[in-house]
Amino acid sequence: MAQNQRPTSILESLGEEIIRIVAPVSICMFMVVILVSILNSSSSSSAATVSSIATIAYNESSSDSSWDKFTGALLNSLVFVAIITVATFVMVLLFYLRCVKFLKYYMGFSAFVVLGFLGGEIALFLIEDFDVPVDCFTFLVVLFNFAAVGVLAVFMSKMPILVTQGYLVLIGMLVAYWFTLLPEWTTWALLVALALYDLAAVLLPVGPLRLLVELAISRDEDIPALVYEARPVVYHESNPRDAVQTRMRVWRERNEISGNLPAVLDSVSEGNVVSESSVDEIETSDSNPNSESSVVRSEEGQVLIRNSELLVPLIDIGGNVQPHGEEVSASNENLMLEGIGLGSSGAIKLGLGDFIFYSVLVGRAAMYDYMTVYACYLAIVAGLGITLMLLAIYQKALPALPVSIALGIMFYFLTRLFLEVFVVQCSLNLLMF
Amino acid sequence: MENSQNSNSNPNPNPIRIQNLVSSPIAVLWPTIDGSLGLSEEESVSYARRFYKFGFALLPFLWAVNCFYFWPVLRSHSFPRIRPYIVGSAIGFAVFMAIISSWALTFAIGGERLFGPVWDKLVMYNLADKLGLTGWS
Repeated sequence: MAQNQRPTSILESLGEEIIRIVAPVSICMFMVVILVSILNSSSSSSAATVSSIATIAYNESSSDSSWDKFTGALLNSLVFVAIITVATFVMVLLFYLRCVKFLKYYMGFSAFVVLGFLGGEIALFLIEDFDVPVDCFTFLVVLFNFAAVGVLAVFMSKMPILVTQGYLVLIGMLVAYWFTLLPEWTTWALLVALALYDLAAVLLPVGPLRLLVELAISRDEDIPALVYEARPVVYHESNPRDAVQTRMRVWRERNEISGNLPAVLDSVSEGNVVSESSVDEIETSDSNPNSESSVVRSEEGQVLIRNSELLVPLIDIGGNVQPHGEEVSASNENLMLEGIGLGSSGAIKLGLGDFIFYSVLVGRAAMYDYMTVYACYLAIVAGLGITLMLLAIYQKALPALPVSIALGIMFYFLTRLFLEVFVVQCSLNLLMF
Repeated sequence: MENSQNSNSNPNPNPIRIQNLVSSPIAVLWPTIDGSLGLSEEESVSYARRFYKFGFALLPFLWAVNCFYFWPVLRSHSFPRIRPYIVGSAIGFAVFMAIISSWALTFAIGGERLFGPVWDKLVMYNLADKLGLTGWS
């Protein structure tokens, strides 16, 4: 791979990065759809609604009128968003007071609860559905192993990248499945409310997520949160000089306002070791050090960010609550963030909350029919692509929920209203299946 | 050995090395499966040791992750300090898997004929019903 002299094209590098984010999102959605199909087909119309923090205001029952359901759903979602806002502000406060250790322990604890209890419950559902003759000792040992290694994977920064990514996707899948158990109107209202909240929290100057990101940037610290980071695209070029030119990808350049270059190199690394030897190469090969173009630093330290203003385009994203049941109701708050940003290594980071709510949307669509699943999946991926493009243009933390959720919901209702009728009629008349 | 391994804790100021980097890539052997994104050799020793020791807390999966993470160590013999822990993890994982799978298979295949009424008490779906674990409390 390092032998061929052909430089990678912009399309390949861009495409590779997009794929590395779209793939895990797709996997998460796919698994939630499978879970929903398997587990909900058995208990078809038994209203297996969960009474949880998201339904304390109003618990939907199928006998209510539409208007009641609508207002109840709105009330539920408002309460939920209010709780999330409060929790996010608490998290910002804790981060401001430098209680990072506490946040990390909390994150580990919530990961353990999600993997252990939620994962255990879903595994029990599957065992009951398929009548798997597993005994309790084996089950407990396996579950304990699974949860413990998962906690280590999100806690410790140095586990195999694949394992960490896999566990994050799993956590997203489990929480998303739990959310699909909410009553239907509440789910849709919740999605809309959270999309709006995300928009406000990340973009408004008083928004908690924006405060969090600015704090993290100003302190050069990492936000202790569950965030999925795509593996940075590593370029293997034999001639670094050419490599730098080809790696100056258009969508990552920023005009530098002033010529001062702070010690961005060190501040940018987030505990990911960057080989210092290659930095020398870049210094010599970059023609004008005080140039107006800045390039993103890849993991091997071969491209540098020189941006005095925005030192570390970080993740940021809004806090997001995933309560579950009567158990620790505020357990996973704010530890799974939504939104999208660039990691210090130039890799794209997507908050786990985005995974969860995309999957919730698709899971809900799966409860209706597979047609809506396809439509919503395409809409969400398109929305994600648009968000990535905006990320490339604006180079700052952006909310990843609004565009995708808006497109997803729009396509869900359009499919349900128009496409279904069309396809059904075509099938009935043997025109198209 | 110094030439074939790279450790990030030693930024090599050797100009010949950089020259090599410019003209042709050095074949670097990383101890972790993540390659250049993973750990350096010094950090690897402490991580491998820690994973190995934690695995004794009934966590064979951690041993498996250890083997997976340091797969290059298992494949090549050029990391003498890390290798004992990884080999130990591999052996521990194999032993544990043998024990657990034999028990689980005996339980599953033997069923009631082998165990008698105890089987019903031990099997997971009955236990879940009895304890009401799937009521989504």
